[in-house]
Amino acid sequence: MKVTCTQENFKKAIYSTERVVGKQITLPILENILIETDNGMLKISATNLEIGVFLKIGAKIEQEGTITVPARLLSNFVNNFPASSTVSLTVIDQTLHIESGSSKAQIKGLMAHDFPIIPEIAGSFLFSLPAQEMKEAIPRLIACVSLDSTRPELTGLNVVLVKDEVRIAATDSFRLAESVVTLKKENQSVYDLFLEKTSSIIVPQNTFSEVFRVIGPDTQDIRIGIEESQIFFQIDNVRIVSRLINGRYPEYRQIIPQQFATKVVLEKNDVLRAVKIAGIFTNSKAGEIQFSVDCEQKVLKVQSKAEEVGENQTIISANIEGPEQSALFNPRYMVDGLQTITTPRLALLMNSNSSPAVLRMVQGENNEEISSFTYIIMPIKN
Amino acid sequence: MNNLELWQAALGEIELSISKANFSTWFKNTTILSRENGKVIIGVPNGFAKEWLENKYNTYIFRALRNFQEDIREINCVIYNLDQAPHNNEAKQNDLTPQGGGIKSVENPYAYTPQSAVVAQATYVQKAYENNINHRYTFENFIIGENNELARAACYAVSQNLGKVYNPLFIYGGVGLGKTHLLQSIGNEVLENDPAKKIKYITSERFANELIDSIRNQTVNDFKSAYSAIDLLIIDDVQFLAGKEKTQIEFFHIFNTLYQINKQIVISSDRPPKAIATLEDRLRSRFEGGMIADIGQPDLETRMAILKTKAAEKNFYLDEEAIRFIAENVKNNIRELEGALNRIVAACEFNNKLPTLKFVQQALSEIISAGKKKGVQAQNIIDTVSQYFNIPIKELIEKGRKKEISYARQIAMYIMRTELNSSYPGIGSQFGGRDHTTAMHAYEKVSKDIEASEKVKEDVALITEKLYSV
Repeated sequence: MKVTCTQENFKKAIYSTERVVGKQITLPILENILIETDNGMLKISATNLEIGVFLKIGAKIEQEGTITVPARLLSNFVNNFPASSTVSLTVIDQTLHIESGSSKAQIKGLMAHDFPIIPEIAGSFLFSLPAQEMKEAIPRLIACVSLDSTRPELTGLNVVLVKDEVRIAATDSFRLAESVVTLKKENQSVYDLFLEKTSSIIVPQNTFSEVFRVIGPDTQDIRIGIEESQIFFQIDNVRIVSRLINGRYPEYRQIIPQQFATKVVLEKNDVLRAVKIAGIFTNSKAGEIQFSVDCEQKVLKVQSKAEEVGENQTIISANIEGPEQSALFNPRYMVDGLQTITTPRLALLMNSNSSPAVLRMVQGENNEEISSFTYIIMPIKN
Repeated sequence: MNNLELWQAALGEIELSISKANFSTWFKNTTILSRENGKVIIGVPNGFAKEWLENKYNTYIFRALRNFQEDIREINCVIYNLDQAPHNNEAKQNDLTPQGGGIKSVENPYAYTPQSAVVAQATYVQKAYENNINHRYTFENFIIGENNELARAACYAVSQNLGKVYNPLFIYGGVGLGKTHLLQSIGNEVLENDPAKKIKYITSERFANELIDSIRNQTVNDFKSAYSAIDLLIIDDVQFLAGKEKTQIEFFHIFNTLYQINKQIVISSDRPPKAIATLEDRLRSRFEGGMIADIGQPDLETRMAILKTKAAEKNFYLDEEAIRFIAENVKNNIRELEGALNRIVAACEFNNKLPTLKFVQQALSEIISAGKKKGVQAQNIIDTVSQYFNIPIKELIEKGRKKEISYARQIAMYIMRTELNSSYPGIGSQFGGRDHTTAMHAYEKVSKDIEASEKVKEDVALITEKLYSV
């Protein structure tokens, strides 16, 4: 193989693929990145057998060939390239000779024919999602994914397809985040047909992290296809394939109250500060803080008390509609929830001290709720 | 063969052709979902495995499956949910099928159609005929005692993991102590786990005869290749190979072929490899390279347990006292034990009497007295010892104090004491009028050495056996 390509493209390609490579004891080749020439392009692939990523970049190909080299080594080298416009790659005897500007390296590789074949979509893509919206939504959702492997279905994100939108949700059964994103169908009838068979899938958390990483500032669309327990993404020139998690995601929509008795509109930074302070005055993990809504004085009181530490109280003025409320929350989950809010003000919606509370962003003079994102937090019952 | 067995058998073959890492990565959680008209659908856990099996390993899979089912023409892979397949109920399958619904038509992978059951049964019987495995001998009906624990454990381990744990496995022990039972049990156990395994049980004598026939018919190559395709080779009574040089060479080659491709070899003999005279050194060292386990004589409790089991098998009731009496008096060998029991059963039926202790004593009086106590005399012991050690009787009796001679003499004294219960002065006088303390010392020394040294134990056991076999 003898190839020359731009340093920028090559760097981006390595950055996009390198992270899926895992520590694999059984099959050492999985620690490698596959570099191959493919129809006048340079194709770079990596996989851990759960997720596979590959992309093609333009290159000047003088001689065809393939090689696999250790991903970490290559990416460490590439990250420290001196400023130069091009990279040249040559394979001689299972060794990759790589040169950019004043730096040169020879990396020992493994035979490419043992590298796993990354599945490609057999049919066509089903729909696409707006990339920039997803770039915002993914980190909010990932914070809520459960790490408890005894319930594998909660270690992923639930993607529910409905007529014109997708609802993506994540929960660890204490709190839940849901984003609703409008989708663009590639083909109306194919999409409707698909919807009849499958409408809910569970995508591993890592897959969405990977998608998040690959989305660039100029990315327009994320094209998505679902086939045979696998999900396929195309983001610009990068293709990602991942397994889906088997199992049944909880019917979370049923626990979201349809109506709320009390709506409290607050300044985000005030509450966040109050909750963080209250969190200090709790017993480490099992702490609880009290939210009391006082209609007469139009304030929200955030209080906490720990026997051996002390106690505190913060009073925040608020815009309140509805009756008084009082409920206990876990400060950590409340902080996570508040941090997902990107508007200056937010609405806290409550029904009682045992019913889920909801955080939503608000905008405009009338404090209209933005319903595309919902953060639900269960109060602590005493 | 049902689908599960077929896939197990095929995996067994595939495992040999690819590396362990590859095997466990790509074939983990795979199964045959359906098989119809020569078209096999293999269920795989993810898309990577599907691509890999379809594109890289399809020839291996095809070849392996064809070995067992010649009509297979087409192989397809389908991604399926592991937790859905085996124990799924209708309800679970019908809702929420994220895999895209392609699998619904597939039949239950573990369905065991009656037709395939018959086929499996037929091949099983045919196999049993070819491989000389007797169904009567299984691990279940093998009675474990202190004497055979190790051997049994080794055999069982081998049966669970062919070619991986102890290879070759060498079992030795005296006549009628259960070597053959153990060897056959391995065969039966392996066949039960995987009827597709190729097994051959053969005595070394028959092996030699087959070889001679093949030489005569000029089919030596067929003979060899037939043996090298075996998964488990069991050679019984290998000591009979001693002195047959050509057979040993052929056996050596077959042994090497099998050993190199990790096929299991199990060998039995009546003595350890070292003690088999005229066994080629290269064979001996190979036998010693694996695991050597011995079967000793059963202790009283084990003998009683064996008697109880055997009596139960015959639906014959014997009370505790009678069992104890038989076990106490028939010590050497399990076959004799069974013989004694048969004798009692027959006598009871014949005389139409219940097997009381007294009746049992009467019925066995002949064997017990004829066998050991009466038949053997001090002179027999001296003769046997002299033959065994190849030392003239004269030297044994005379005052020589050379190490080999005094060792043999001490063994002889010991055996006289244990087998004939001779008095120490009596033993002394048999050996040229030695002092009774000499005899006492010999008895004590050998008793101690038997505990410490395998060789001494071996010698005593073999001489005793020889003594009674005359």
